[in-house]
Amino acid sequence: MAEARPHAPHRTGKLPAAGSPARALALVVVMVALLVFPLLQVATGGFNYWLHMMLYAFMYIAMATSWNIIGGYAGYISLGHSAFYGIGGYITGGLMTFCGISPFVSAPLAGVLCFALGLPLGLIALRTRGPAFIISTIALLMLARLALDNIASLGGADGMSLPLTDFPARTAKLPFYYGMLAIAAAAVYTSYRVRHAKLGLGLRAIAEDEVKAEAAGIPTRLYKIIAFALSGLYVGMAGGLWGYYLTYLRPSAFLQILTSAQIVLMAIVGGRGTVAGPVVGAILLVGADELLVAKLGSTELNLAAKGALMIVVLMFFPEGIVGTLKARGRLPRALDWG
Amino acid sequence: MTELVQVMILGAMLGGVYAVMAAGLTLVFGVMRIVNIAHAAFMLLGAYLAFWLFTRFHLDPIAAIAVVMPVLFVAGMAVYRLLFTRIVDSHRHVEMTVLLTFALALVVEGVGGSVATGIYRTTTPEYASDAIDVGPFYLPTGQLYATVLSFVLLGALLAFLRFTRTGRAIRATMQNRAAAQLVGVNVERISMVTFGIGIALAGAAGSLMSFLFTFFPSQHWQWIASLLALIVLGGMGSLAGTIVAAMLLSITAGVVSNALGPTWSPATFYLALFVILMVRPQGLFGKKSEM
Repeated sequence: MAEARPHAPHRTGKLPAAGSPARALALVVVMVALLVFPLLQVATGGFNYWLHMMLYAFMYIAMATSWNIIGGYAGYISLGHSAFYGIGGYITGGLMTFCGISPFVSAPLAGVLCFALGLPLGLIALRTRGPAFIISTIALLMLARLALDNIASLGGADGMSLPLTDFPARTAKLPFYYGMLAIAAAAVYTSYRVRHAKLGLGLRAIAEDEVKAEAAGIPTRLYKIIAFALSGLYVGMAGGLWGYYLTYLRPSAFLQILTSAQIVLMAIVGGRGTVAGPVVGAILLVGADELLVAKLGSTELNLAAKGALMIVVLMFFPEGIVGTLKARGRLPRALDWG
Repeated sequence: MTELVQVMILGAMLGGVYAVMAAGLTLVFGVMRIVNIAHAAFMLLGAYLAFWLFTRFHLDPIAAIAVVMPVLFVAGMAVYRLLFTRIVDSHRHVEMTVLLTFALALVVEGVGGSVATGIYRTTTPEYASDAIDVGPFYLPTGQLYATVLSFVLLGALLAFLRFTRTGRAIRATMQNRAAAQLVGVNVERISMVTFGIGIALAGAAGSLMSFLFTFFPSQHWQWIASLLALIVLGGMGSLAGTIVAAMLLSITAGVVSNALGPTWSPATFYLALFVILMVRPQGLFGKKSEM
């Protein structure tokens, strides 16, 4: 994607991270810390809770980052992304149950299948320029839910249980931790590359003014479809691994509009259309959610609080944390990923 | 054959109710380009209000419309004033309104759900379980009342839009916002009133649904998905299109449900949405430029 274009070197040529050794160093330090963190669990056995929280955060980093490619860069809001999450979960779960293939092997496949599914869906849903796309994403989620609620061989509304892993209890979470970390890292890297490639530039032009973008020769239709499919890729992978982690699949747990709401909220709070935004948003909201659930319980009020937070951010900080800081020139360089 | 006709009669009757449910949604989109994801949440709010009036004061759910509509009209205007006046000129307006109303739906569901709990509810006036025989067919009395009232409401809405000064201003704003402003229409006030009317219609539809369906707080997602599919089919912003689409979809859903079982009837709406997007993205009555 990243062709060198002499007249626009900062957009499509050299990636900025390469020019900043401090940022590269910070990135290496963070990655190494995340990679060795599970050793604490291996050594003491007391860090399972932290491993759980972190892999949960990785999952949402991957999903919010993925969503951001269509919802942030291209400005096409999808409210049905939990459809990919559920479909991913059912793909790996089905392969596990019927073919005995481990989800660690099949999760990438689930992502690729979600990508493939995104192409025809995008072809239909993105035929119009306006709100019909958003509406069709909700319909997609509802349709997936309806189908999985009623397909008896996949357990219907009762869902299906997956066999437990045979990892020893002490290290059982480790493979999932590294799996989710890999998915999150891949998602952020993809998002970063897209952002600095011709595709990302085209998508931002579409978000600004689609008619002008088209007039300028950007293949808007193709770009939007690619963006939509890409945005399903890592959501499908994350769902594929999460199902095995939970050891059960149920439409009511995997195909909730609430999951979509979380993803959208994270991207908005962090900053839509920025690379670092969804990462920051996911970490903050997973943390906040943990505190809120501890205080309020996982109740209806939690739902209302999420909605209220979304309204406040949209009305007063529509660019999100990263976007707002960037606009004021206050964004720490470590988070300035474009 | 009799069975098929019976199914289609019931579908057409229900279609009238769907038309009222979606009328406010399409009106609000037509005037302000707001895709109100919270529309069905307000509809359920209306249903719960009717339920509360019914259990607490033994007020008939049809009579409750007289209470529910004004309450939700005011609530709708307040919501518009609080949320939408600020962003009316915002860049990427449709996107913002979708996100805001999505968030609003979460708030309404969350607050409503914590008050009303997740128990399935329905109001049970006597007519809800009656039926009238007409030749070989039967007409459920509750459904009949609901359909008649739906057409009364739709007729009143159309008459209001056609013959009153405010109604004409609303239509003018729908056709061309800038031009309406030029000829002296206060589009901000008209927008607020229209949003109020839209939410009030949702409330009226909610009162009707309170004795036609069982409902629970998170059900509004299913409703909004169907209703949005319906207004896309009709051509977003077109009232006539909405009424025709409601009839068509409701009858089709009835036939599908009769053939494949009631679980698949909502699928009719979603599939119809994808088909219409492939064949005629602007909807049955829509203009191409509006999409």
